[in-house]
Amino acid sequence: MLDTFEVLTTSGVVLWSRRYSPVGPHIINSLIRDVFIEERVQPQAEDAGSKPTYRKEGYTLKWTTAKDLGLIFVAVYQSLVHMTWIDKLLDNIRALFIGLYGEQLKTKHSSVVNCDKFAPYFERQIQDLEGQSDSGFSAPGTKLTPPSSADNESADEFDPKIPPLQKQHKPQHDTSADSTPVPTPDTSRPTTPAQSHLLTGRAGPGAKLSRRGKKKAAALTSAPASSGDEASVKRKGKGSAKKNRVWGDFGAEEEDPSMVLDYSQSDLRDEAPEGEALAEVNPESWGSRTGKGQFVLKDLDLEMDQIIAEQNAKKETSTSAVSGGGLVGSSLGAIGGLFRNVVGGKTLTEEDLAKPLKGMEDHLLKKNVAREAAVRLCDSVKRDLVGLKTSSFTTVEATLRTSMEKALAKILTPTSSLDLLREIQTVNASGRPYVLSIVGVNGVGKSTNLSKIAFFLLQNHHRVLIAAADTFRSGAVEQLRVHVRNLQELSKREGGQVDLFEKGYGKDAANIAADAVTHAAKTNFNVVLIDTAGRRHNDQRLMSSLEKFGKLAKPDKILMVGEALVGSDSVAQARNFNQSFGPGRGLDGFIISKCDTVGDMVGTLVSMVHATGIPVVFLGVGQHYADLRGLNVGSVCRLLMS
Amino acid sequence: MAWYDEDSWATAAFAPKGSTIAITFLLAVLLPILLHQFIYRKATPTTLPCFLLIGPSGAGKTAFLTLTERKAVAQTHTSTAPSAIEVLLPEDHTPQSSHYRSPGDPAYERSRRFLLNDTPGHGKLRHFATTQLANPTNVRGIIFVLDAATVAEEAGLNETAEYLHDVLLALQKRYTGATTSKGPKEIPVLIAANKMDLFTALPPHLVTQQLEKAISEVRKSRAKGLKDSGAALSGEEEGLDEEREWLGEGGEGSFEFGQMEEVGTSVTVHGGHVIRGDGADVRSWYEWIASHL
Repeated sequence: MLDTFEVLTTSGVVLWSRRYSPVGPHIINSLIRDVFIEERVQPQAEDAGSKPTYRKEGYTLKWTTAKDLGLIFVAVYQSLVHMTWIDKLLDNIRALFIGLYGEQLKTKHSSVVNCDKFAPYFERQIQDLEGQSDSGFSAPGTKLTPPSSADNESADEFDPKIPPLQKQHKPQHDTSADSTPVPTPDTSRPTTPAQSHLLTGRAGPGAKLSRRGKKKAAALTSAPASSGDEASVKRKGKGSAKKNRVWGDFGAEEEDPSMVLDYSQSDLRDEAPEGEALAEVNPESWGSRTGKGQFVLKDLDLEMDQIIAEQNAKKETSTSAVSGGGLVGSSLGAIGGLFRNVVGGKTLTEEDLAKPLKGMEDHLLKKNVAREAAVRLCDSVKRDLVGLKTSSFTTVEATLRTSMEKALAKILTPTSSLDLLREIQTVNASGRPYVLSIVGVNGVGKSTNLSKIAFFLLQNHHRVLIAAADTFRSGAVEQLRVHVRNLQELSKREGGQVDLFEKGYGKDAANIAADAVTHAAKTNFNVVLIDTAGRRHNDQRLMSSLEKFGKLAKPDKILMVGEALVGSDSVAQARNFNQSFGPGRGLDGFIISKCDTVGDMVGTLVSMVHATGIPVVFLGVGQHYADLRGLNVGSVCRLLMS
Repeated sequence: MAWYDEDSWATAAFAPKGSTIAITFLLAVLLPILLHQFIYRKATPTTLPCFLLIGPSGAGKTAFLTLTERKAVAQTHTSTAPSAIEVLLPEDHTPQSSHYRSPGDPAYERSRRFLLNDTPGHGKLRHFATTQLANPTNVRGIIFVLDAATVAEEAGLNETAEYLHDVLLALQKRYTGATTSKGPKEIPVLIAANKMDLFTALPPHLVTQQLEKAISEVRKSRAKGLKDSGAALSGEEEGLDEEREWLGEGGEGSFEFGQMEEVGTSVTVHGGHVIRGDGADVRSWYEWIASHL
């Protein structure tokens, strides 16, 4: 069963919601965070015919959006339950909501949408779709439409003119059954006359049925509708029934003289609202008489289907307008399109965006962004833009450009702070040394960047122990020793302390790292930097030792070094290293080395962040110890877009 | 027929004919009217004063927005887009600018109207707020909403302090970078410590203390931190990179909100809670808004 359905705006306000069982707000918050903001979870392709899904804590969330109005429609249900009709529900509700409240949503500077009356529409949709999927389509006496997903789409787009035409000479319940794209057996539409028959039949011999009872019966005939109109009827019935009824000592008193005298009171309390209610209700507008003379409330179905059909037709025309039309039409459209392209105010479609997006993708590829990342960026920009109107005096290209800049900034901006010094402070406060280890492919500059970080920490007067856990490559330990000697010279002037922890070659790296950490705790070092052997990321044998390393050394931070020079392999590198530490542990950041050698082709940054969602912490920009920089998102974006 | 012929259009345009005079007259009368219509349709009639809602995600910015707009808190989720909402100051507060206006005055009603600009607080979406800060138009004040309960914990405090540091630094840069000697218009900051109803929430004076301490820490570690990659990547000379600015009194000693007065930013801290209170618990925030409206 559906747990919650919410309609919310991108600015975070819930416009309408219906909850069947309590679902914490954090469920939807995490959907927004993971999918819309961080794009960590890739939604499944929508061309599979189904809406994207997202799972969290035993709930499955499905959603759809209305870009131009900034709306998100989310359905939450238990993952155990298999619900096939959610996609359809989302589509229908979106069409309905936009159809009903589109105007209100467009008002500027307001977040209020008065949609209290949406509940009956929603209930009706649920009933329709649930019934459709439950008891199938074996209802007697109704036209059948096979409810395969493809046919549903087409059946949905029936001519919106049919219902009103039929309404004129047919009993109402029949028309709605006809006009409903798919029959709805559980709503008891075919049995409706029988039911009401029964009720009136009983009412006949039973002589006086109170007025309210009659109303109830009338309401019952349209019970499944449970419409807003019903409410108005009830109100009216109540108003007339309650009028002047006074409870005395012996039950209801028919007349109370004192009451009669108080004209002003009754005027205020009873007459005015009742008169209003009566005036509001126009019999034609809320119901019609069936052939048997029974009063049947006008169904919501009709209205609902009309709205949905209208919305679908709108969509249809907007898509067919591009392809359709004769020679004159197309050329006129082309001119208009060109004009709008310059002036702005053009509604973007996928066709409009295809060519500029291709250009943008090529541009990104030239900047050394991996193809996968470039495609994803373009996709997210496309998702962002399709259906939007360009603002005045901006071309499609310019709109695309700003959107791409935004997408790049979003992907590169870290979610949380990356302040290494503060982290060291907090970890040291808990009485243990801060452990940082560096991994990467061969020859990307692990040892060099490690010594740069050591230099940076020494400048801040930390006591650094460097652990030589590269026990494989000859000369690795010696290389570190040289670095340490240099740094010791510097630390004499700058303050701080640095030492090397080495156990020679051929030993197990994980054990050495663990020993180094205990040694550091004993000898009062507050930071441990662990250098590891370079390994090829697609060699399972070499990568498997990393898991043990992560478990034994328990680094607070694992940074991966990647070269800016590497091309599309960067995605695979980042991904494999991120997964190599076993479940529950991944990389904490990237160091992109050799940035000074690539000029403006800094695409590797984007590729790596794209592959894992892990931020870039440092950039190596030169050969000296001091050539380590933090990431400036703005300047990287500028370089990429130049 | 050439243009210089007797009955050509050029001759007709300069001849003292009735039709020519009529057309010229119409043109002279209608053109200004049409221009007026066109221009004044485009321009918004008045620009409302505006308050920016800034703060980390989950602090209660959108909730405060809905409370102000509809006098009741709507359910909210994480925002992904900014929104500007036109709201009315609650009845029992009088804007500073109309203390001497009588309640019936239409100008009084107008002065109670202002815009609340809500910004997303998620780390990746703060550029919406920072772009507004860099170029504030008609911004009367900034309301920095924070969760007084998360500030009690180290991680939450650090995140909040870093964001607040960046906001204050942007305001300071705006002041010091101004070209006129008078300096730009003051933008006061209200630190609205939300969620005071929670048991773990810190009282306002403790929030102030903790934030000041944390901002000093942020400033210190920023000073020690690595330089930005900006200059190095765009191939500029190293020595030329622009001087970095430090928040408050050159970045020495411990930071206090009082130091911001020098750069035209007064910082006030008020507690309150948006949820579980019918507007009465954020009175001090409305009072602050009223005093700057």
